[in-house]
Amino acid sequence: MSDALLQRLRRREPEALAEAVRDHARPLFRAAKALGFSTQEAEDLVQDVFATFLERLDSFEGRSQLRTWLFGILHRKALERRRSSIVEERMDPIDDLFESRFDANGKWSRPPADLERLMLSKEIGELIRGCMAGLPANQREAFVLREVEGLETAEICKILDVSVTNFGVLMHRARAKLRECLESRGWNQR
Amino acid sequence: MISCKRVANLLMSDQLQSQSWWKRLEVRLHLAMCDLCSRLARQLVRLRDGARQMRDPDEPDPGLEERVIRRLYRQ
Repeated sequence: MSDALLQRLRRREPEALAEAVRDHARPLFRAAKALGFSTQEAEDLVQDVFATFLERLDSFEGRSQLRTWLFGILHRKALERRRSSIVEERMDPIDDLFESRFDANGKWSRPPADLERLMLSKEIGELIRGCMAGLPANQREAFVLREVEGLETAEICKILDVSVTNFGVLMHRARAKLRECLESRGWNQR
Repeated sequence: MISCKRVANLLMSDQLQSQSWWKRLEVRLHLAMCDLCSRLARQLVRLRDGARQMRDPDEPDPGLEERVIRRLYRQ
């Protein structure tokens, strides 16, 4: 964030505040919805994010982007509402399922099914939404920030307060589960 | 020669860009030769594109920004 904008925000200039809301309210709302909150809950969360943003504005040093900071607040608010933790489980059955697709030499023994037609269908967005509902919150959040909102790894790690390695585990598990889910639905359609 | 499992793990965990130049080249060559891994890589791109399609129905009711700003001023 530019120093000038930060100074204007600290002075609570209405135009600067409106600019911040205009730039970030919708991406925050979309992320909250994609995390499984209802439309009303998502809007409440966005309101909370900006209220917290104003309360803590004077302690913000401007070292990270405004977007990173706002998504970080959203992440913590979402955790509070769910009373859950971002700490990733050490074991997840999807890891074994993924492992079982390879032989001892690391070659595919159960290759990925050809889902080209399914992936190109108009319904793919809805199918993915359905499959995402089955993801744990932390994996879903990593996937949404990376793949839906297009944030960089370093920024996501700051928001979620996880290491790059931990982020990799979250993404791996999220993608593996979504693939398995779509693969099962693709087969069902044949 | 890098294995399919290693390539799949790098693709799935989003860790390819943090690998060395040599490792990234190995993965590219592997993908050029391996139909199954390139199928997986293609599916991950489609998964991202499909996930982005979710954004449209997730638009808020009109006037979100105004409502947020109004509430901020009330506080």
